[in-house]
Amino acid sequence: MVGLSLGEKNFIKGGIAQDIRTDGRKRLTYRPIFVETGVIPQASGSARVKMGATDVIASVKAELGKPNASHPDKGKVSIYVDCSPTAEPTFEGRGGEELSMELSTALQRCLLGGKSGAGAGIDLSSLSIVEGKVCWDIYIDGLVVSSDGNLLDALGAAIKAALSNTAVPKVQVAANASLDEQPEVDVSDEEFQQFDTTGVPVIITLTKVGRHYIVDATAEEESQMSSAVSISVNRQGRICGLTKRGGAGLDPSIILDMISVAKHVSEQLINKLDSEIAAAEACEEE
Amino acid sequence: MEYVSPEGLRLDGRRPTEMRQLRAEVGVVAKADGSASFEMGNTKVIAAVYGPREVQNKGQQMNDQALVRCEYSMANFSTGDRMRKPKGDRRSTEISLVIRQTMEACILTHLMPRSQIDIFVQVLQADGGTRSACINAATLALADAGIPMRDLVTSCSAGYLNSTPLLDLNYVEDSAGGPDVTVGILPKLDKVTLLQMDAKLPIDIFENVMQLAIEGCKAVANYIREILLENTKQLEFRRGV
Repeated sequence: MVGLSLGEKNFIKGGIAQDIRTDGRKRLTYRPIFVETGVIPQASGSARVKMGATDVIASVKAELGKPNASHPDKGKVSIYVDCSPTAEPTFEGRGGEELSMELSTALQRCLLGGKSGAGAGIDLSSLSIVEGKVCWDIYIDGLVVSSDGNLLDALGAAIKAALSNTAVPKVQVAANASLDEQPEVDVSDEEFQQFDTTGVPVIITLTKVGRHYIVDATAEEESQMSSAVSISVNRQGRICGLTKRGGAGLDPSIILDMISVAKHVSEQLINKLDSEIAAAEACEEE
Repeated sequence: MEYVSPEGLRLDGRRPTEMRQLRAEVGVVAKADGSASFEMGNTKVIAAVYGPREVQNKGQQMNDQALVRCEYSMANFSTGDRMRKPKGDRRSTEISLVIRQTMEACILTHLMPRSQIDIFVQVLQADGGTRSACINAATLALADAGIPMRDLVTSCSAGYLNSTPLLDLNYVEDSAGGPDVTVGILPKLDKVTLLQMDAKLPIDIFENVMQLAIEGCKAVANYIREILLENTKQLEFRRGV
């Protein structure tokens, strides 16, 4: 919980109005981002992202499963987020469940596209092995270790990094399988294939405090927000998903303005993330 | 199955009385009052301490001592097969209780009446000995939070497989079904605060195995002390003393 006095609240609001926030950033500047990949050896891919005092881990696990009857040619991806009580004592027991659900659905909306899998950041058809019989089930787990605001952007970045770190084993299908039988699959131990993560969007959350909006809000700034809009933007500058949180209403023209700002910010964030991920991968290989 | 080769090496290449590589870091969760991560080989846990602070649930307040609470949780990705268990299953409740009792024994609770101390441990990777790793991480986090303690508590496990006492079992050795002795000690006072064993062992062998585990605890204690000293030196340096 954030406990702030009236003076502190005014200081935060006044700073945002004058484009100098309490930590010296401008309204549209991110905190430094640190990416570390391959932190969970048991997973197919994993990454840890730190933004200031916010610290999240994402892991990707691939398992063989059966595709949905309605989409036999596509694999399945599911995203779950867990809020560890280490991040905040109120997450103890079932306390973190509400936030976990909110984050999970927001991430699914931003990264997975519609029910049919159209518009998803990950190409679901590439996860199919034998149509209607076998496919990859991708489980993405996020864990919030420490929270200081802007969890959604951090989780989005961690998932992007984890996916680019993911290696799915190559699969050989026995050729002589008949139509009704479950085909035999041989999972290779040595050959792996990398994911195509160029289509995975980044998430930009614009938090409205007073009359202005800011990116990468800290927990203190988030406590003063009237509403927040999370926009996921891919490399082509297309909008992949949008979620609005918070009680206050927004003027439609402001939302359109926010979207164009998010598009502009996303270019910098994607470039920053790409270089961080590349640096982390290089560091891991050493 | 052969857990100790004729040359006297274990599955992961260790000797029977060799521990896994230890690694610890203090202050990993910026928002907590005290925090630490602790690694024993591939087992990795994070502990965070909040408090001493106002008691949240007034009914639990005690007028002569502090209330100590603990929650143990495992990340979905911590085990080899991905699991999706609801929070608060029996195993985690039991481990929470064990950690709470062990830590309560060393915290000077009478100095902080009408207050509450929360200890949260989060398992990031489970490869056997999570119980011990959690206790070691919690000790470091409590020390980092500056909570008055009688002594450090350190913990280590030992087992007995192929007629050999083995120190610090990993997951494969742990699931072999042999006895698994987890010991927690107060190294300076030389007292045992935690002792758990499953399966059965002849008494004279049990003594050896427990002694081995105690030696392990002492090694952990030395390591923890080094880490704390290093951390204190850094704090001192930052203050410009």
